[in-house]
Amino acid sequence: MNGITMLKAEQLSCGYGKTRVIHDLSFQVAAGGRLCILGPNGCGKTTLLRALAGVIPWQGRVEADGVSLRGVSPKQRAQKIALMSQFSQAVFDYTVYETVMLGRYAHHSGSLFPVKTQDDRAVVEDALRRTGVWELREQLVTRLSGGQLQRVFLARTFAQEPQIILLDEPANHLDPRYQEALLESLREWTADQGRCVAGVFHDLSLALAFADTVLLLEEGRALACGPVEELEEKLLDRLYGMDVRRYMKKIYGRWK
Amino acid sequence: MRTGIKTGLLLLAALTALLLGIGVGSVYVPPGDILAIAAGRIFDMPLPDHIPTGYSAMVLDMRLPRVLLAFLTGAALAVCGAVMQSLLQNPLASPFGLGVSSGAGLGAAVVIVMGGAVAGVGTFLMPAVSLMFALGTVCLVLFLSAKLDRNMSNVTVILLGMVISLFCNALMSLLATGSPAHAQRIQLWQLGSFSMREWSAVWALLPVTVVICLYFLRYAGELDVMTFGEEQALSMGVDLRRVKGRLMAAVAVLTGTAVAFVGIIGFVDLIVPHIARRFFGAAHRRMLPACALFGGTFLVLCDLAARTLTPPHEIPIGSITALLGAPFFLYLFFGGRKNG
Repeated sequence: MNGITMLKAEQLSCGYGKTRVIHDLSFQVAAGGRLCILGPNGCGKTTLLRALAGVIPWQGRVEADGVSLRGVSPKQRAQKIALMSQFSQAVFDYTVYETVMLGRYAHHSGSLFPVKTQDDRAVVEDALRRTGVWELREQLVTRLSGGQLQRVFLARTFAQEPQIILLDEPANHLDPRYQEALLESLREWTADQGRCVAGVFHDLSLALAFADTVLLLEEGRALACGPVEELEEKLLDRLYGMDVRRYMKKIYGRWK
Repeated sequence: MRTGIKTGLLLLAALTALLLGIGVGSVYVPPGDILAIAAGRIFDMPLPDHIPTGYSAMVLDMRLPRVLLAFLTGAALAVCGAVMQSLLQNPLASPFGLGVSSGAGLGAAVVIVMGGAVAGVGTFLMPAVSLMFALGTVCLVLFLSAKLDRNMSNVTVILLGMVISLFCNALMSLLATGSPAHAQRIQLWQLGSFSMREWSAVWALLPVTVVICLYFLRYAGELDVMTFGEEQALSMGVDLRRVKGRLMAAVAVLTGTAVAFVGIIGFVDLIVPHIARRFFGAAHRRMLPACALFGGTFLVLCDLAARTLTPPHEIPIGSITALLGAPFFLYLFFGGRKNG
């Protein structure tokens, strides 16, 4: 792997309570890289993202842009790594603009009289435009469709201005047009210097179309990690316990 | 701009409610006279001739403290309700769900039953014991939640809050059954009352309410982020465990203090936050102050109704809030839905 390493995990282990889900996992993502994490249900994909984002405790070593994340404050960590969780929800009537502005949280110091700067507004506007929800900015998030809401959450993730974005099933709720738009805006975002993306996708074809690097996860351990082009088909077959190519043919083969 | 106008209207409504609350009663005192009486006391001026001398004591030492106590209680309960709903990402959450009310109720019941033994200790004994029991109950709920579930997930907190609340209520029923002479007082306490219309109660509740409301406002940003889910909040940089613990403790202290003086008054904590959000949006920076004003105004008006609807008897305030609040709430939400 050439270039600067943006995200690096060494001997990473984590889990819930006494149950370990991820065992001594090591991998890295280069600047500008797009990693997809593949594996069957329950292999620890979401758990891995949670650990990287600081949602659950972990052992081992994680570096973002060469800086160890051990012992940094939640806000410092959030300025480097953002997670677009699949468990985010909109319960109360915030406007789209307010929701995206919340992404700026990690950049503010807490006080009774917080100030929203010109810079905050510029970042939020940019995020809203990148994701195509600028027109929706006055709408209430509780009235949006699932697909619109997903784009608003992506805008909020952009507004957080991290260097690394972690995605947990980001294409859920999206029709193919918006899937492509979402992945395209992520590609654009990653193309800037010193940024990278790591994501979990349930749609295999989407994952392989988007990513440049693949991490195959089997029962919390790395089965393989490398460029998409070098991915061995038999490893995928082993991972999912099926003939993946035949399955793909069955789905897409009808059109030819 | 529009928020400015709405805030102005809300302040006007609050002021009107306060003046009505003070003015209306066995004898009516018009707003002008109320101001004259207040000015007379503050600046030590003689009263205008048309105001009977007895009115001064009635307005300033009976009605005013009662109205202020109602306002503070309403503000405190509404704000605590809003904070709990955001903390638990649940529009049905309430500070009473942490066991505050049943703990306080048990404390009050203990004092009432043992009242003979400790008579003459002063009016603050009952509130003090209630507050201690309320805080003890919340501590127990939070301690057990943390013990059972390291992350103190919302479901665990809500469930344990219910279990402990029901347990306290059962103990309270046992006490009431064991000493039938006191059963009625225990039951009445649970319905709430502002009859302890003393300045001392106002002076005790005022600083707690102001300080804790400002404390909540300091955490407005965290509360906003937390309504979108805990996992999201953590990854966005919120120090979740610390913030949640602090805010729940503050909710317990404020609700506990309010309930200790006036008994259990439901509905305000649940409904007022929804009304405030409807007019001022969900962002806590605007919604929490609006909640305080709406809650205070609402409870002053409810107390007014409680005192004046069936003279000379007082309707328990806890039933008035639901009696007036439920139709108002339905009107607001289902009436508004047609045009919205």
